[in-house]
Amino acid sequence: MSFTQPKEDKKLEEALVREFQGGNLEAYDKIADIYQKKIYGLSFNLTRNQMDAQDVTQEVLLTLFRKIHTFQGKSAFSSWVYRITLNASYMKLRSKKKEPNVSIDELMPSFNGAGFQQEKIQDWSENTESLLFTNETRDVINKAIDLLPEKEKVVFLLRDVEGLSTEKAGEILDLTVPAVKSRLHRARLFLRKKLSSYFEEFSSRKVEK
Amino acid sequence: MICCKECLDLLYDYIEGSLDQETTDSLEEHFQDCPPCISFMKTYKSTTTICRDTLNQVEVPDAVREALLKVLKENKEHPGEN
Repeated sequence: MSFTQPKEDKKLEEALVREFQGGNLEAYDKIADIYQKKIYGLSFNLTRNQMDAQDVTQEVLLTLFRKIHTFQGKSAFSSWVYRITLNASYMKLRSKKKEPNVSIDELMPSFNGAGFQQEKIQDWSENTESLLFTNETRDVINKAIDLLPEKEKVVFLLRDVEGLSTEKAGEILDLTVPAVKSRLHRARLFLRKKLSSYFEEFSSRKVEK
Repeated sequence: MICCKECLDLLYDYIEGSLDQETTDSLEEHFQDCPPCISFMKTYKSTTTICRDTLNQVEVPDAVREALLKVLKENKEHPGEN
């Protein structure tokens, strides 16, 4: 599921926000219902912990209730919700011991003096289908994403997982469009490299059989 | 003729469809002569798809949903106590 919003949804949502700002609690219930899964999904993917994601979701939904009067409509309501969700998730992450970050630069593609790729590149893109929903594959993907540095990870989650536009991700993260693009590209290169070893090994296992 | 490094730098915009025609042509010309870059492009695209499909499987567990409902209900009845 992606969270790009069709126009009608956006209008409906703006109407709900105005109603809730005017004191209609049923409108709040609808807003909470629309956003619960998005908030939980994003905070779970950031913290990778059910308790933390539950805490964050609760905190964000309560903040929406209490702080709705501070929302002025200068940016989209959803951007406001995403920002509160990210801040609450970061608070959770900061309170925990941090795993040492891997250097993302080491996993970027390497080239020879003439600008040609140095490593052997295998095409495993056709082999992913049968593997996609196995537990092993899911673990590999989750671990690879865990290893992404925070700056790249959050851009990847908003753009590629939530399906937001580059402009919207930039608005939420206070980044320029080129900065969002460059972080997303680096995240994808990093993940591609991490997943390559797994899928290439899988292809060779298949050949041996 | 562009090299692999330039090719990979252009991948993002190529996939978005935001390159001008001339750059697209020279990139595609590179692909014709460079199977590794085709493999790279395909696996780069796949990476996005499989990560998105995997991460979007997160559902709110029933127990969490119930707990949240309870908190929100209490909050509405007695705001400010949570």
